[in-house]
Amino acid sequence: MDFSSPSPPMGSGQSPEALMEQVQAQLQQAYAEELIETLRGKCFDKCVTKPGSSLSSGESSCVSRCVDRYIEAMGIISRSLFSQQR
Amino acid sequence: MDPSAANNPELLRFLNEEQQRVMMNEAVAKLTSVCWDKCVTSAPGSKFSPSEYSCLTHCAKRYADMSMLIIRSTQSKK
Repeated sequence: MDFSSPSPPMGSGQSPEALMEQVQAQLQQAYAEELIETLRGKCFDKCVTKPGSSLSSGESSCVSRCVDRYIEAMGIISRSLFSQQR
Repeated sequence: MDPSAANNPELLRFLNEEQQRVMMNEAVAKLTSVCWDKCVTSAPGSKFSPSEYSCLTHCAKRYADMSMLIIRSTQSKK
């Protein structure tokens, strides 16, 4: 994860609570950016197989299904990783 | 960092928990990417087919099993 984006220096005279909130906000943003970048790559591969002069309606609806399925897949993987039974 | 913050046990506990969460999220992100490529072979539909679903539910654990195998077999070759 990349913390190099310009933001106020951490912990400079802040209260611990403010610092925690700042950490959580930055993690949240990094996480969202990473997910969007991943979705771009995965759904472009699956849905835009031959780029034409514009996105067709078929491609657009494929992309929206792709986003839904990818997020569902993250849930499936997460449950299979962190639940005890094999 | 403000040295008083580094000595704040509540803050240290918070940072440890966040670090754990980040590692778990990274593992899920990495495995989802690998398993998506492996299990979802056609254009995504409105729901997963039974075979896609079954592939996704097994994929992460088999990846972990395989990692152990690879580690063991590279160690035995040293």
